Amino acid sequence: MKIFMTPLVALVLLCPSCSSKWTTHTACKDDKLELLYQSCDPLQDFGFSVDHCNNPLSENVNIRFGIILRYDINELFLDINLFSMQKSIFSFSYPVCEVDFPKFSFCGRKKGEKIYYAGKIHNPSFPIGKGEYHILLRLHNENNFTITCANITVISY
Amino acid sequence: MVRWIAMALIITTTFFSCLDPGSCHSCLEVFPDIEYQCMARNFSEVPVDIPSSTQKLDLSFNPLKSLASRSFSRFTGLRILDLSRCDIQKIEDDTYQGLCNLSTLILTGNPIQSLGLRAFHGLPKLQKLVVVETNLVSLKDFPIGHLMTLQELYLGHNSISSLKLPHYFASFSSLQHLDLHLNLINNISDGDLEPIKMNLNLTLDLSQNPIQYIHPGVLKGIHLTGLILRGNFHSSAVMEVCIKGMTGLQVNKLVLGNYKNEFQMTNFESKILDGLCQVDIDEFWMVVPSDFPSDSYGFFRCLVNVSVLHMVTVPLEVLTNLPVFPKLFSLVFTNCKFETLPTLPSTSLPSLKELRITRHKDLTTLSDLKLPSLELLDLSQNALNILSCCSYNNFDTDKLKYLNLSYNAQIMLSKNFMGFENLESLDLQHCQLKGHNNFPVFLSLTKLQYLDISYTNTHVQFENIFAGLSNLRHLKMAGNFFQGNILQDIFKNLSQLVTLNISYCHLEKIPQITMKSLHQLQVLDISHNNLQTFEPLIFRPLWNLQVLNCSYNSITALDGQNLQSLSETLVSTDFSGNPFDCVCDHQIFFQWVKENIQLLNRSKPMICQTPSHMKDVSVLLFDDLYCQMKKTIIAMSILAIMLVLMALALVYKFYFHLMLLAGCKKMVGEESTYDAFVIYSSQDEEWVRKELVKNLEEGVPSFQLCLHYRDFIPGVAIAANIIQEGFHKSRKVIVVISKHFIQSRWCKFEYEIAQTWQFLSSHAGIIFIMLQKVEKSLLRQQVELYRLLRRNTYLEWENTNLGRHVFWRRLRKALLDGRTKRQKEAAE
Repeated sequence: MKIFMTPLVALVLLCPSCSSKWTTHTACKDDKLELLYQSCDPLQDFGFSVDHCNNPLSENVNIRFGIILRYDINELFLDINLFSMQKSIFSFSYPVCEVDFPKFSFCGRKKGEKIYYAGKIHNPSFPIGKGEYHILLRLHNENNFTITCANITVISY
Repeated sequence: MVRWIAMALIITTTFFSCLDPGSCHSCLEVFPDIEYQCMARNFSEVPVDIPSSTQKLDLSFNPLKSLASRSFSRFTGLRILDLSRCDIQKIEDDTYQGLCNLSTLILTGNPIQSLGLRAFHGLPKLQKLVVVETNLVSLKDFPIGHLMTLQELYLGHNSISSLKLPHYFASFSSLQHLDLHLNLINNISDGDLEPIKMNLNLTLDLSQNPIQYIHPGVLKGIHLTGLILRGNFHSSAVMEVCIKGMTGLQVNKLVLGNYKNEFQMTNFESKILDGLCQVDIDEFWMVVPSDFPSDSYGFFRCLVNVSVLHMVTVPLEVLTNLPVFPKLFSLVFTNCKFETLPTLPSTSLPSLKELRITRHKDLTTLSDLKLPSLELLDLSQNALNILSCCSYNNFDTDKLKYLNLSYNAQIMLSKNFMGFENLESLDLQHCQLKGHNNFPVFLSLTKLQYLDISYTNTHVQFENIFAGLSNLRHLKMAGNFFQGNILQDIFKNLSQLVTLNISYCHLEKIPQITMKSLHQLQVLDISHNNLQTFEPLIFRPLWNLQVLNCSYNSITALDGQNLQSLSETLVSTDFSGNPFDCVCDHQIFFQWVKENIQLLNRSKPMICQTPSHMKDVSVLLFDDLYCQMKKTIIAMSILAIMLVLMALALVYKFYFHLMLLAGCKKMVGEESTYDAFVIYSSQDEEWVRKELVKNLEEGVPSFQLCLHYRDFIPGVAIAANIIQEGFHKSRKVIVVISKHFIQSRWCKFEYEIAQTWQFLSSHAGIIFIMLQKVEKSLLRQQVELYRLLRRNTYLEWENTNLGRHVFWRRLRKALLDGRTKRQKEAAE
């Protein structure tokens, strides 16, 4: 009986933690570059894709991004942390939406509203050296509530 | 056994399933009885365990599906109800009946298909209604006509295709904000806005509607506080026509433009804005247009009467040929493409009081600015490299009160702000400042009230850095350095200072003198330094201190006694993030913390770092009782030791008294008159009389000695006396050995008899006292005595205090040996 119960108890204890891990999605895949992402927001997963996986990434990348907002975003900030070999090699914070400076059409959207963005993003074009890179990306609002959190893996062949 | 395991399993399952959001049926209590957060808890109906006194209820992200009549009637005190994305498809009549205090109702993201005509009935105080992304198609059928208290109505992200406002909008006299962004409105036709004609306080947001046509004159007589038209026009031709159609409109704030991420219209020609000549505008914003006409005169031609002009992310590199703006009060350029400051002739801008040119990443050079009436100049967040700052050569603006040069590259402070005597606020934070350690650079700024030099890489060496700032009330200088990491006496003339921020300055020491003149200081931030400790007395001159932030230093504890005097004026303090040493030595400090817990309500918890058993434990759990117990134990043990020592001393001192009292000696059958018979040479009689007799017969216990000069019966032979009186009647024999003793024949005789006596009575009865050192050769003459002295213990007379004390104790002890009880009683 005991032998039968032990794995059962272990399963019950461990299962909630399994369910909070979201599956890893592929944003784009090419011969030379692969982009994988996994949501690290315990509340929800999100959808994201990149049209072409070029290496070096072209300056205007077409992306699609869909999410349901859990909080208002009168202000929105993006934190990016780039890791290589488990070490943070680059970290960057960028204000996406500011009260007096709402550049994007989704700024000011409300909790419960769906955002679907399909369009270009500008990014500096640079070649990605061979290897595996991890990017921790977090969007948060003015009250520091997480809007989106993603672990992105970039594999360059 | 199996039953127990099953029960444990059920309990753990319920417990751990609560960790999984969405499966646990209980809400987060934000404020007891006031605010409950039930976001994503998988409720299919309104939870029953929420108290009816709740004022704010968040039920968002629960699959409620439909709302029945009077679903919330229990919550009569409810003010804010959030039902975002609850998959509500149907709202029945009188759903919100009873919510007579509700001011905000949020229904964002619900696919509403069916709305009862009385769906929003019973909401007499509703001020804000959010129905964003709710499948709303038309305003005509939206049953909100009775909500006359509405102030904000959000109808964005729906499929409303007509702006035709129902007549009930005429009764919304308090309506201030009508948001219709991201709908399908494609024209503004006759009579659409007629119901709001009387409302002069309304802001209308029509952004992201594909407007094709505005009927000319339709806005005539309409007065709006704000009109937002971003991302509306898909071509410049449409825009031109629509703006022409706005003729006759009176608007306080008009926002035109686009979004960075949306479709960008091309061919922005200056004539597009020609229609604005017929529009009465007070404040004009142009935000993220795709283009800017080469003819800037044409662009501004119809905007000359505005008093506020904002140009945000406009592709504008130079500004030439500006028309005259007679009323322009405030001019703002944000994130345009300037590389040098635009030339702004004062003739074109005679009334300009505020100029902001910010967020230009390529703007590196400062050109001279001559705007005599300017009072506010904001040049923050550019990449300016100012080689000589600041004097009237840079800015000929002698009325300037506010100057913001923060977040630029480098500023060389080589001039002492001559001509800026009216300056009240100066912000230089996050620039590389240079030159201010050489001379009192702020000397002429006698009216300055606010100075920010945070994170300017300032290495304070010069004590008179703030000389002249006699009216300064707020000083921020976080993230700088001090010589030797010791705060210097730089605040001596800042007697008006109210707030001071010296956080992140690597400070290790704050000398008492530095705070001496800051009597008006109310807010002090010394967080994120390396202070190990400081004497709270340094804050004594701060009579008005209300807020003190000492968080994230290396403080282990503070002098609690002196903190008491601080708490009289304090309103808030923060000591979190310090490595507190939670030992009893610092008990007073931790007690102070506990007593003044109301001061810490804004700070993070204070955590112990040492000792190891207290690591990561809250300071508030520090146990006073433990320290008190420890103290008591120490005091008690000291007392006990003292008592024992005292008792021992007493026992020692009154040993013989005690012996008498206890009567511990056993009864011995025989009785004797004397305690001891003393054998001595008559030469030593003086010693016997003065010392031996006096000490033994008059001391405690008293002994009866047999002395020949006193106790021998006259008329009896000496030998008979010796035997009869001496040996027969005495228990012991004391032999006083000296030079004279050895030479005396009588003594020899007495001693020999004593020896025989001892042999006959077979008990140790002879006590030898060596009165003086006797030479060995002399002693050897008395062979027997010599042998005996070598074998037996004898007493030696020593004429020192300690020696005498020991001698008498030993002798008394020896004499007591073999004494009977009765004798003792008699002696008492």
